[in-house]
Amino acid sequence: MDLDKLRETAAEVAAREDVKYLIGWKKGSYGYRVAPGFVEEAEGAAGLIFSPLCTANLATYLTLVEKLPLPRGQEPDKRKVALMVKGCDSRAVAQLLVEKGIHRDEVVVIGCPCPGMVDPDLLGEKYPETEEPAEVKWSDDGFIIVRDGEETAVPRDELLAEKCRLCRYPNPVISDIMLGDPVDTWDPAEDEGVSEVEDKDVDGRWAYWQEQFSNCIRCYSCRNVCPLCYCQDCILDRLNPTWVNRSVNFSENTAFNIARAFHLAGRCIECGECERVCPANIPLGKLNRKLAREVRDKYGFEPGLDPEAEPFQASFKPDDPEDFIL
Amino acid sequence: MIEKPKIGVYICHCGINISSTVDVETVEEYALKLPNVEVARTYSYMCSDPGQALIKEDIKEHDLNRIIVASCSPRMHEPTFRKAIQEAGLNPYFLEMANIREQCSWVHQDMEEATAKAKKLITASVAKVRLLEALESTEVDAEPAALVIGAGIAGIQAALDIADAGFKTYLVEKTPSVGGRMAQLDKTFPPLDCSACILTPKMVDCASHPNIELLSYSEVEEINGYIGNFDVKVRKKARYVDFDKCTGCGDCATECRVADRFPSEFDEGMGKRSAIYLPFPQAVPAKYTIDPEHCLYLKRGKCGKGPKCQEVCGAGAINFEQEDEFVEFKVGAIIVAPGFDPFDPSRKPEYGYDDYPNVITGMEMERLVSASGPTGGKVLINNGEEEIEPKEVAFIKCVGSRDESVGNEYCSRVCCMYTAKQAHLIREKLPDAKIRIYYMDVRAFGKGYEEFYDRVRRENVRYIRGNPSEIFKRGNKLVVKVEDTLNSRPLEDEVDMVVLGVGLEPRAEMRQVMDLLRLSQSGDRFFLEAHPKLRPVDTATDGVYLAGCCQGPKDIPDTVAQAKGAASSAMIPLARGKVTIDAQVAEVNEATCRGCGFCVEICPYSAIEMVTVNRFGHEIEVARVNEALCKGCGSCSAACLSDSIQPKSFRDRQILPQIAALGVMK
Amino acid sequence: MSANYEPNIVAFLCNWCSYAGADLAGTSRVQYPSNVQIIRVMCTGRVNPLYVVNALQQGADGVLVSGCHPGDCHYMEGNYFARRRLGMLKDLLEFVGVDSRRFHMSWVSASEGHKWKEVVEKTVEDAREAGPFEGFRRRQIDW
Repeated sequence: MDLDKLRETAAEVAAREDVKYLIGWKKGSYGYRVAPGFVEEAEGAAGLIFSPLCTANLATYLTLVEKLPLPRGQEPDKRKVALMVKGCDSRAVAQLLVEKGIHRDEVVVIGCPCPGMVDPDLLGEKYPETEEPAEVKWSDDGFIIVRDGEETAVPRDELLAEKCRLCRYPNPVISDIMLGDPVDTWDPAEDEGVSEVEDKDVDGRWAYWQEQFSNCIRCYSCRNVCPLCYCQDCILDRLNPTWVNRSVNFSENTAFNIARAFHLAGRCIECGECERVCPANIPLGKLNRKLAREVRDKYGFEPGLDPEAEPFQASFKPDDPEDFIL
Repeated sequence: MIEKPKIGVYICHCGINISSTVDVETVEEYALKLPNVEVARTYSYMCSDPGQALIKEDIKEHDLNRIIVASCSPRMHEPTFRKAIQEAGLNPYFLEMANIREQCSWVHQDMEEATAKAKKLITASVAKVRLLEALESTEVDAEPAALVIGAGIAGIQAALDIADAGFKTYLVEKTPSVGGRMAQLDKTFPPLDCSACILTPKMVDCASHPNIELLSYSEVEEINGYIGNFDVKVRKKARYVDFDKCTGCGDCATECRVADRFPSEFDEGMGKRSAIYLPFPQAVPAKYTIDPEHCLYLKRGKCGKGPKCQEVCGAGAINFEQEDEFVEFKVGAIIVAPGFDPFDPSRKPEYGYDDYPNVITGMEMERLVSASGPTGGKVLINNGEEEIEPKEVAFIKCVGSRDESVGNEYCSRVCCMYTAKQAHLIREKLPDAKIRIYYMDVRAFGKGYEEFYDRVRRENVRYIRGNPSEIFKRGNKLVVKVEDTLNSRPLEDEVDMVVLGVGLEPRAEMRQVMDLLRLSQSGDRFFLEAHPKLRPVDTATDGVYLAGCCQGPKDIPDTVAQAKGAASSAMIPLARGKVTIDAQVAEVNEATCRGCGFCVEICPYSAIEMVTVNRFGHEIEVARVNEALCKGCGSCSAACLSDSIQPKSFRDRQILPQIAALGVMK
Repeated sequence: MSANYEPNIVAFLCNWCSYAGADLAGTSRVQYPSNVQIIRVMCTGRVNPLYVVNALQQGADGVLVSGCHPGDCHYMEGNYFARRRLGMLKDLLEFVGVDSRRFHMSWVSASEGHKWKEVVEKTVEDAREAGPFEGFRRRQIDW
């Protein structure tokens, strides 16, 4: 990715009359950190980056910041929001369009073909973070870590994030402006994480998730970071009716996690943000990917590819599988 | 309104139907201890006047605001008790029924178990009834017009009745003429009236009736709306003949270059017609129609030096440029009368219907004995070699009826009698013929039927009990292979002609009507009525009624009776001029709706639309329900991720406590 | 598991087919186990899949959802939506280790009183084999 080109384009877009601001990635305050950058003026574009550390799915800001209450008499700023997206992020945008969470004329999508992100945890483990800014670049066959002016080449497989190993859409599926050429796609790896759980017997699976869900502190980070969990008033916060009690215990945690995963059935675009932000390291991606796999294999449907698609949960086919019916 | 719930629980003995298995006194004691329950009583028949009076008095005396009746299924008496509590000044929707009869006392024998279950069901009712909200049903105007689909005897009769009562009636018939199957029949069974003689006047009436708009050669394309307000779109197929100009003289058909070449539908393919045709001489309307599949000009754009019909038509009625037309209108009620199809005996190849010209169906027999039929009423049959007058005739009954192998378990109800009638007609025409009828049972259940059956037997018609296994040819005879099951004797009966008493099947096109009107089928594939005994002409879709064989096989008197019943039902909303819209519809909480539109996609009635509202200064889209269109199914609600759309009386906050109550009561 | 363990089953039945079918079983005096408690909804399409989770959490050992056969839905399509949603839920529940015998779905028409009995027997038998589902119980159940 040519950073100059990226910044130049971003500056042009941010300067547009019909654009409110642009959301991209910028360097964080220390180490490998990357932060979301909200660029309102062309000058701000100079700080933007796109690197293997830009894991965050910025599409979540489309719904997070958009509908805050306006003071009385104040007109909403109806100009467009420009958004930089990787392949997975673009699917979130497409799915938001399906669900009318945003409208096509409200957003300028800047596509960033993505050769794959590093797994931030693995990276930190193997090449510990320093207070000094550090960065990671793509090389032809892997990553280059730059710390204290020193470059370390690392093979791709060593650090590639799990969601990227499984990725089938590294190139944005929807965009107004595409930065650079599409990357070569790769064969998605077998989803061993899901298969390992599937291979356990029923008690084994229950025990596995019991252990995981017991760690849940119900911080709702998974929900808040998810670009598709954007109800103004989440049912899990409600008291009447109470779907899930607020107390943190295995029963409620399990109900919460099932409800969260189910609400994403046929909607999750597998960006992996929920799992990335989980402070309890619950493998939430497995739940989502399991359902995504079933939706793909049994129902022949993949969300977030076609903004005109019928929503999975609001449609059916007469020959949907029914082998489970008595 | 935050009003403390004060619940009355009424436990019905239902004679001993409930109390013999459920210990109602124990249940009463238990109910009294449940939260918010002020009164609990048992009574022998809660639905009786004194039973209802008991509830009404308690409502007044104890200031009750919620009622639970633990008795039979709500599908049975919910309306009864709603009305009762309304009479006592309570909102009718403050009622919950616990089904402790059909789903408890009748299905369990152990008193302890049944009593425990009754307690649970009542607990769940208490959990829900406390949270029910007052609902008001609304009224909308009903269009004082009706649509009748199908113009056989059922549709004709229904249309005439409604029109006679003074309501505009649209009668839509798919074929070029009204009359249906009855017009094809020769005589009707007892008494032996000539079918055409009794039907034709009615056919003429429905064309000339000032209140009937007859749309023949037309098909219903679209129906939207609900009882009182259906929007109907009908396609009038092009006849290629100017309806107003055609005088029905028939010169065109005589002169047609392909005159008398094609099997006549009316004569069951035994007679021939031209490409331009009148289905039968008494057809109503008496207007010719060009069959586009066979007309040389329409098919190839060329017919000799120019179409003959056009040349000879003095009225200048032929118009090859004619196109299908669409008419749209509004009606308040719909009667469905598409009729039946005779069973196709090709599906029982052992009877050789496809192989031997002298194996015919009962319907073909009707045309054969009819004076207006292809042989002018003479019983003549081709035995494969020559046309003969049969000397020996066999009838086989229950062909395609009571036969699981073809998927028809039901009795077609008319074959016994039409076979007897046809045997009688053959006897009249061929006094010396030998006539044998092979049967499984003889069902002569109607008025005058048994007497007629007796009479036919006395006319030297032999009834032999046995279900033939095979028909094959031997020389110029047909051999019916059968076991006479009364004598346990295998037979090989040599005859000149076999008449298959084919049964009645749902029409192939029924699916179309089903989809248009959201009707269901019963196990036999005929239309499902709202209740097999008490609502045999209603359907589950309000404002849509059934007439004739589409609901199940029927003879003519039953069909006419049902048509009159359907007409009378259809006239209720028309005469009242108003229909009540159910209050149990879905409602959107616009404050939490995220505007995704899932509910709009799901709603089968297009009852939900997106509207723009202002939320905290932003223009946003939210869903809104059109209560007149909503049927309260709640499919929208289960897909709503923010629980913002909820069917009234079946809200999540009413159902979740029900679930909890059942769980606690282990 | 005690020998006389009786599973507690919550069933959601659509008003038009399965509830009527269960009524018919009653009218026909068909006998079946008393473990199944029915909650009537207008259509299986109404059944929020989270009801199933909620029922298991609130004391049910098994859950049954029953509606009209495909093509017979009183509301035309509700059962198709239910089939898709609940099929997904079943996959998810199995994945998190909820015994698949605890949740069943069936098509029972208004004329299938006998099928209703069979469905109840199967559901009860399966839930009995799966045993009490205490692991997932809500700490305190109020209603």
